[in-house]
Amino acid sequence: MDLAMQARPMEAPIEAHNHNRWSPYVDNGGTTLAIAGADYVLVASDTRQSDGYLINSRYSPKAFVLSNNAVLGTSGCSADSKRLYEVLEQRAQLYQHRHDRQISTPALAQLLSNTMYSRRMLPYYVFPVLAGIDAKGAGAAYSYDAVGNMQRVTGVCFGSASALIQPFLDNQVRFKNQRDADPNRLLTREEAFKIAVDAFTSATERDIYTGDYLEIFIVDAAGAHKEMRELKHD
Amino acid sequence: MFLTRSEYDRGVNTFSPEGRLFQVEYAIEAIKLGTTAIGIRTAEGVLLAVEKRITSPLLVADSIEKILEIDSHVACAMSGLTADSRTMIEHARVEAQNHTFSYEEPIPVESVTQAVCDLALRFGEGADGQESTMSRPFGVALLIAGVDERGPQLYHTDPSGTFLRYEAKAIGAGSEGAQSGLQEQYHRDISLADAEVLALKVLKQVMEEKLSNTNVQLAKVTSESGYQIYSKDELQAVITRM
Repeated sequence: MDLAMQARPMEAPIEAHNHNRWSPYVDNGGTTLAIAGADYVLVASDTRQSDGYLINSRYSPKAFVLSNNAVLGTSGCSADSKRLYEVLEQRAQLYQHRHDRQISTPALAQLLSNTMYSRRMLPYYVFPVLAGIDAKGAGAAYSYDAVGNMQRVTGVCFGSASALIQPFLDNQVRFKNQRDADPNRLLTREEAFKIAVDAFTSATERDIYTGDYLEIFIVDAAGAHKEMRELKHD
Repeated sequence: MFLTRSEYDRGVNTFSPEGRLFQVEYAIEAIKLGTTAIGIRTAEGVLLAVEKRITSPLLVADSIEKILEIDSHVACAMSGLTADSRTMIEHARVEAQNHTFSYEEPIPVESVTQAVCDLALRFGEGADGQESTMSRPFGVALLIAGVDERGPQLYHTDPSGTFLRYEAKAIGAGSEGAQSGLQEQYHRDISLADAEVLALKVLKQVMEEKLSNTNVQLAKVTSESGYQIYSKDELQAVITRM
C-alpha cells in the first residue's frame, strides 16, 4: 500500500494560551483615601485611569458625590466603579421618594455593603470608601472590600498606591506606633488636607498608576465641596 | 339606598356609573360591625386601646389579640374582620425587617403604613402575570401607632387603601360615639397617663359589657421603650385611676 495515502497532517499540539484569555476584570489603577474628623470627612483621589502601561485618561474622576452629600471614593475597575455609583445614587433617590427624607450616611453605608454582597459570585471589582456625616454630625468614613465587608474607620486608603499610603495614614491619622500620642485624637481639617496632599504627592513619585490631578472632597454639615490640586503627569 | 345598587355591586373591580366601587364601600361598612378600637397620640408616645367581646364565659379572653407588634417601634390595633389583618400585618412585618436589613435603621412609621395600604387594592383577578392575594377587599381597618425621628404618630388605614394621620381616632362599632368623646376631651398636650384614662373612659361609654381588665387591651408605643402591651395588673392600675 502506498505509504503516502496513510500520511496524515501532523496534529498540532494543543497549547494552553493563558496569556490571551479574556477576563471580565480590569484594574485601572489609581488611589483613593478617606480621613474622618470630628465634624467633617475628607475623600481624596487621583484622576489617572490606566490600563497596563497605557494612560486611558488623565482626568477620569473616581470619587462621586451622592445626592445626600455623601462621597463615594473608589479604586479598582473604573467601569465597575461608575456602575456602582449609579446603582447607589438610584437607590438613594428611591429612598428619598419612598420615605420622604434624605438617606443618612449610615443607612447608605449598610446599603452599599448589601449591594456589594449581592454580587458575591461576580463581585464589582471596586474597593469603595463611603464618607459622610452621621446622625450626630460627626464625620464618618466606611471602608469595604469587594464583597461588602464593612468597617467604620478614621483613616483608610485603597488602590494602586495603598501599600505606600496606608502605613503613612496609620501613623499620621490613627497615631499608630507613636509614643505619647493620643490614639483617639481626630485631625483638624487643615491637618487632614495637608496629609492627603502630601500622601498623594509622594505616592505619585513611586506609583506609575497614580498621578495627574488630585481631587479632594470635604464633607461637613454644609455639604460637600471639592478642591483640586495638580500632581505630576509623568 | 342598598336596594339601588343592583348590578354594579357584584364585581369587585367594576365601577358603577356614578363612579363607585361598591365592594370597597361595603368593606368599609364591615368595620362598623367590629369591636371598638381607639388610638391617642401624645407627646410621650401613642396609646392604643381595644375592646374584646367575651361572647362566652368559657372563652379564654387572652386568646383574643387585637393589638399586635409590627416592629419594636410600631404596633397596630384593628377592627373588623380581624383574620384579614393577618396578611396585612405579615406584609408590614416583612417590610419593616427588610428595611432594617437594607439600611440598618428602623423603618419610618409612615412607610409601614404606606406598605400596608399598598396591599389594600390588590384584590380581584390581578393584572396579567401579577398574582393577587385576595379575591375581595380587606374587611379590616387598622390604627397604626409608632415612633420615629418625626416623633409619635398615629395613622388610620381603611379597606380603600387610604391612610390618614390622626391625633386621636376611634374605629369599629362604637366609633361614632367614641370619636365625638375623643373630640371633646382630647387636647394636644395631653399626657400619656391622662390618655390611658381617656381611652378607657371613652371605651367604657361605647361598650355593652362592663369594662374590666379582661375585656379590654391596652398598649403603648413610646420613644423610650417602643412597643409595650399592658399586663393585667398594669391595666387594673389604669382602671382604678378612672
